[in-house]
Amino acid sequence: MEAGALTLPHGGGHDEHHGPPPANRSSRVDAPTLGMLLFIISEIMVFGAFFTAYFFIRVVQGAEWPAEGTHLPQAIAGVNTAILLSSSLTMHWTVMAAKADNRAGMRAGIFTTALLGFTFLFIQINEYVHIGFSPSDSAQGSIFYGLTGLHGAHVFIGLMLLCFVAIRVFRGHFSSAHHRGLEIPGIYWHFVDIMWVVVFTTVYIL
Amino acid sequence: MSLRAPGFPRAGLGILLAVALAYGLVIGVRALYGWDPVLDGDAVLQVALIAAPFGFFIGFGLFDYWFRWASGAPTVPEEHSSHGARSWKDYFRVNTDHKVIGIQYVVTSFFFLLVGGMFAMLVRAELAQPGMQFVNPNAYNGLFSVHASILIFLFIIPVFAGFANYVLPLMIGAPDMAFPRLNALSYWMLPVAGIMMLASFLAPGGSFSTGWTAYAPLSTEAPIGQVFFTIGVQFAGASSIATALNFLVTIITMRAPGMSFFRMPLLVWANFSTSLLVVIATPFIAASQFFVLLERALGFNFFEVTRGGDVLMYQHVFWFYSHPAVYIMMLPGFGIISEILAVKSRKPIFGYRMMAFSLLAIVVLGFTVWAHHMFVSGMQEWIRVPMMITTAVIAVPTGIKIFSWLATLWKGVLHLDTPMLFALGFVTMFTLGGISGVMLAMIPFTIHVSDTYFIVAHIHYVLFGGSLFTIFAGAYYWFPKMTGRMYDERLGKLHFWTTFVGFNLTFAPMHLIGIEGMPRRVADYAQEFAGWNLFISIASFVVGLSTLVFVYNMVVSWRAGIRAPANPWKALTLEWQVSSPPPIFNFDTIPTVVGGPYEYGVPGAVHGVFKGAEVKTTATPAGAAPVGD
Repeated sequence: MEAGALTLPHGGGHDEHHGPPPANRSSRVDAPTLGMLLFIISEIMVFGAFFTAYFFIRVVQGAEWPAEGTHLPQAIAGVNTAILLSSSLTMHWTVMAAKADNRAGMRAGIFTTALLGFTFLFIQINEYVHIGFSPSDSAQGSIFYGLTGLHGAHVFIGLMLLCFVAIRVFRGHFSSAHHRGLEIPGIYWHFVDIMWVVVFTTVYIL
Repeated sequence: MSLRAPGFPRAGLGILLAVALAYGLVIGVRALYGWDPVLDGDAVLQVALIAAPFGFFIGFGLFDYWFRWASGAPTVPEEHSSHGARSWKDYFRVNTDHKVIGIQYVVTSFFFLLVGGMFAMLVRAELAQPGMQFVNPNAYNGLFSVHASILIFLFIIPVFAGFANYVLPLMIGAPDMAFPRLNALSYWMLPVAGIMMLASFLAPGGSFSTGWTAYAPLSTEAPIGQVFFTIGVQFAGASSIATALNFLVTIITMRAPGMSFFRMPLLVWANFSTSLLVVIATPFIAASQFFVLLERALGFNFFEVTRGGDVLMYQHVFWFYSHPAVYIMMLPGFGIISEILAVKSRKPIFGYRMMAFSLLAIVVLGFTVWAHHMFVSGMQEWIRVPMMITTAVIAVPTGIKIFSWLATLWKGVLHLDTPMLFALGFVTMFTLGGISGVMLAMIPFTIHVSDTYFIVAHIHYVLFGGSLFTIFAGAYYWFPKMTGRMYDERLGKLHFWTTFVGFNLTFAPMHLIGIEGMPRRVADYAQEFAGWNLFISIASFVVGLSTLVFVYNMVVSWRAGIRAPANPWKALTLEWQVSSPPPIFNFDTIPTVVGGPYEYGVPGAVHGVFKGAEVKTTATPAGAAPVGD
């Protein structure tokens, strides 16, 4: 499934065209953007399956949440949510800067976004280390690690994309005319953030 | 032999490095946690099964272009990105041409048909007599499990993707798929998944033997051979999702001028619907196998009831994919049959729009029936009746299609050649399979026949009499286009009649012994079923032999058949308007579509025209396919 993320390379400004002659454009929708949206749909379904597991453990089996004798650090996770959400804002700012041909803004934006993403991941791992239960302790522990870990893996994929984009930003590949290679990883990053809000709400708040 | 250029030597190196990485990772992590022993064979195997395919992909050159892009370097046209295949060796390289990939897909899938069919022969050999003959019960369980998994994940699903890969861009007037490199990656994941599943026979404890359904907790406690399925399915599924996404984007953004959605051939419609199903449903089987893997490898407790887990959850998640999956295995076949019946009876397809809408109806309803596989699983009782109703309802759009096909045939000028025979065989056999499906929707009946040979009969009537017949029909129908040669019609007919008769003799009696209570998935059976089982085994060998006729016909015709004209069937759809095989980028000029795809028998009807040619349109389009919109 990671393969879908690899549809990105068709975007971007400076690639040469290698391949078949252009086809008739039968839709106003841009092909790589549509590909990313479809990929996100299938990503949502992966999360959907994990939420199904969550539903069966917590609602159908009626297991105590969180498991007896454990505690979920809502405050830390809340701060982490704020960090990830602000990275969405900076990502949006980066795309805006690209559209305005603001090179300095683009560089600052992508750097901040990636930094916030790494911070999120660091705090998440730190939380795992100190949380005091493991996935093998209980089904609740399993689905806690399952959902947050699945999301963490997506943050990691998103960060890899952001790193690729950052290289190209710093090489000056994007401009107001060519910024698709920046916009599409951005869509993915927004998806990762929105998904976190859902995971955070169901796992930590409810 | 260069280890720097993409190809098999570098791929081998990639696999070696990946295995080394697996060893390093496992030893490192276990040493860090202070676990003893530091080296755990099962753990290394599981990591290696995930890492080695990526070593192969990277070494083989599937990621070269993307690595250059990601590092900000200027991309270069690789040697293998050139289109077309000049010799057979080009089929063993990364190639981004949809026609090459289509043939790679189809040939690979048929190879796995022979492998999976061979397992079926072994199963029938064991079942020819009561008692144990050739294999022990565990090996028998392995045989039918690998038989089903190979034929579902490595044959039926990818062979349809292969046909569509070849003809779909041609049909909509596109030069290639939307993402040619992703397309190449999708293909190369398949042999990896197939080899992985077959390699499970080498694992200690034997191959995976939990059926293709791999129910937990059976699969979480099975010997290590199980992970070959768990991980192999991930690659087959990823391949499927990537191809589906590619089809959807291609269909939406790359249609020729004038090719509105309601001028698309029904094969395109069928693959559009199938791809929707794949994108939405396939992630669920990925997740179900993630659960199994996490439970096996890292000690998670999704299914451990004593720790608050839910064991039925696996079945819900699995069938939420695998029921739509039976439509993934059927809808593209519907498309193939619609093409063939219209062309071979020289009539417009009856109820074109209803054919398209019924496909979409199946997509939607397909997500509402999953628990009918679980009537005897002990799930909540209130789910049963709603699922019975939706299951009966989903027969309605399928019925619309059957009746539309019959109405298409009505008073047509039938050309009873091999593709048409297989198409007619499909319509009859699939109807029988559909009827036993409606029977199975009825809860009292399904409780009676659950886990008996009635289920085996039903699944083979829809997947063999249904899907496989459409695949054979499609293989003969597009053989001239894909190879540029004609197949041997006499051998084709021989293949059809032996398959059709052998198939019915094999699977029809299974209904009877199923109702009488012979359980499926058991290597031994009661003496009273001995007669029928011997009969079934002999009939199944007829089916096996008939497949050899097919293989012989394909191989010999491909090598030395007479040259095929551009349009041997006088079809209207665009793939037949170019040479056989088509030029390297499909069309010299992009065609313009001016009418419906099935205006057979309408004087002067034209579907697509090429620039420079005179545009002729029909005065009144035939059938229920209004032009325009």
